[in-house]
Amino acid sequence: MDRKDILKDIVRAYKKYPNNAAFVIDGTSYTYKEVFARVQGIMPSVQGTQGDIIGIVAEDRIETYASILAVLLSGKTYVILHPSYPASRNRTIAEITGMNIVLHSTPSEIVESLPDGMKCISTLELRDDTPGKNLLDIKHDEDTNAYIIFTSGSTGVPKGVQITRKNLNAFYETYRHLDWRLGPTDRMLQMFELTFDVSVVSTLYPLTLGACIYTVGSDKLKYMRVYELMEDEELTHVTIPPSVLQFLSPYFDEIHVPKLKFLVVTAEAANADLLERFRPCAPNAEFVNFYGPTEATIYCTVYLIPRENCKHHNGMIAIGKPFEGIETLIMDEKGHPVIPGEQGELWVSGDQIMAGYWKDREKTEQVFARVDGEIYYKTGDLCHVDSDGDIIYRGRKDYQVKVQGFRVELSEIEYRAKKFFPNETNAVVVPKKAEDGGCQLHLFIGSTACDRNELLQHLKQHLPTYMIPTEIHLLEEFPLNTSGKIDRKALMTFI
Amino acid sequence: MEIDDILKELDTIFREILKNDTITLGRETTAKDVDGWDSLTNMRLITAIEKYYDIRFGLREILKFKNVGDLCASIQAKKK
Repeated sequence: MDRKDILKDIVRAYKKYPNNAAFVIDGTSYTYKEVFARVQGIMPSVQGTQGDIIGIVAEDRIETYASILAVLLSGKTYVILHPSYPASRNRTIAEITGMNIVLHSTPSEIVESLPDGMKCISTLELRDDTPGKNLLDIKHDEDTNAYIIFTSGSTGVPKGVQITRKNLNAFYETYRHLDWRLGPTDRMLQMFELTFDVSVVSTLYPLTLGACIYTVGSDKLKYMRVYELMEDEELTHVTIPPSVLQFLSPYFDEIHVPKLKFLVVTAEAANADLLERFRPCAPNAEFVNFYGPTEATIYCTVYLIPRENCKHHNGMIAIGKPFEGIETLIMDEKGHPVIPGEQGELWVSGDQIMAGYWKDREKTEQVFARVDGEIYYKTGDLCHVDSDGDIIYRGRKDYQVKVQGFRVELSEIEYRAKKFFPNETNAVVVPKKAEDGGCQLHLFIGSTACDRNELLQHLKQHLPTYMIPTEIHLLEEFPLNTSGKIDRKALMTFI
Repeated sequence: MEIDDILKELDTIFREILKNDTITLGRETTAKDVDGWDSLTNMRLITAIEKYYDIRFGLREILKFKNVGDLCASIQAKKK
């Protein structure tokens, strides 16, 4: 199949727009020419090395982004090691992938925690300014991994999601055909940690256009930096988790970003009311919701959020239509298709689906299923398809519990609890197995200005008795995990 | 109000919200220096400070705070 190669398009953009700014990092601008001088400087260090896997220490620096490009253009696989990870986690990742080489720029503590014999290369001084080099003469095997992203595993050992060049290009083929209307003068945001796969599209896609990427590093007050860049640099395309908007929501009356063309929300269920309240701040922007598990390469469904009549389930915005080349099924617990319109687990297949977890056949088999000869990835997400063919997200399979034999969707309780408050307030229900084998529901509210009894009365008005929480906990704010999502496991510790 | 007095009051607010009794702020302190001071807790800290002093910060103002000293100066100016 004649599919576009994302790396070819990036090199083409570099040759066409060498003097355009490619990155602005912490106020410093780097042209495509400067970035590729670094890429060319790094490439000889990774080419011809034994083994495909190259470790990269994540830093908010041009050398880090150049390293990613150098590894990909060398036909190798990159694996991110992160300074915010515990040393043991970085070491485990290095060990299980068998990496021999780690690229870093500034001196890093990670380097000391790595297994003996690791070759750590500082990329700070690596440059090759030779113009006109052929960067595409290295043969790329479509089945070689582009990257491996490690996600938390239920047993404590991180699971490595392997994404091949074929996976990545299948994603790119659909993504670039969306109606973006973006080009070499656009200014786009990259605020995701490099350990999270949305960073891949936030970095690589703008580079195919000759556009400029504004990065936000591991800043402790990320949402403030996002706001500052959006307004001061007049960004035209931003991709953020909805929690960034949640943090900025008390200040919406001060935010005005008329140059913004696209607001992409992803990584967690986006709240319809929150997005609607943000509309006046970005009057010229299209709002888009993307959904996708890392196992299916970044995104695999898209929903253009309409200005009116946004589809949602309990406030969670619809995830829309599957990407071109993605087949979806909604399956019941026995692995049979549900009646159209009924709720079930979303299964996805196609060229974006990973080959499997790194050296973990058992976990891979648990998440894969074969239907009519096609391999499907079982997402664990509960959805239904409406009469227009839009997929409506309804929550995680794991968040569905049974209480006294009744099936309870936790998001429904959360939705009702949120409705009790006049302002944007978070509500999360955590199920806890009681000693008698039953299930207790603990409701956490992101506000301490709340009358528990009034809230209970409100819930009783809308929910059957078995769905009324056993306990209500009032918190100022919720704990978040490293992806910026609400950390439900951490909430358990409050119980 | 003297800056040193404000610093002492902020210590109390920070200690309570970040659940850490050892926090002692100085004029040069930034989020980087304080464990647990991140996007999430920043929201809570700002809200608590606004409530305590009965003032309100704009988003631009918060952005301009380079350190705790700037925050104190802003509180001082608003309470004049």
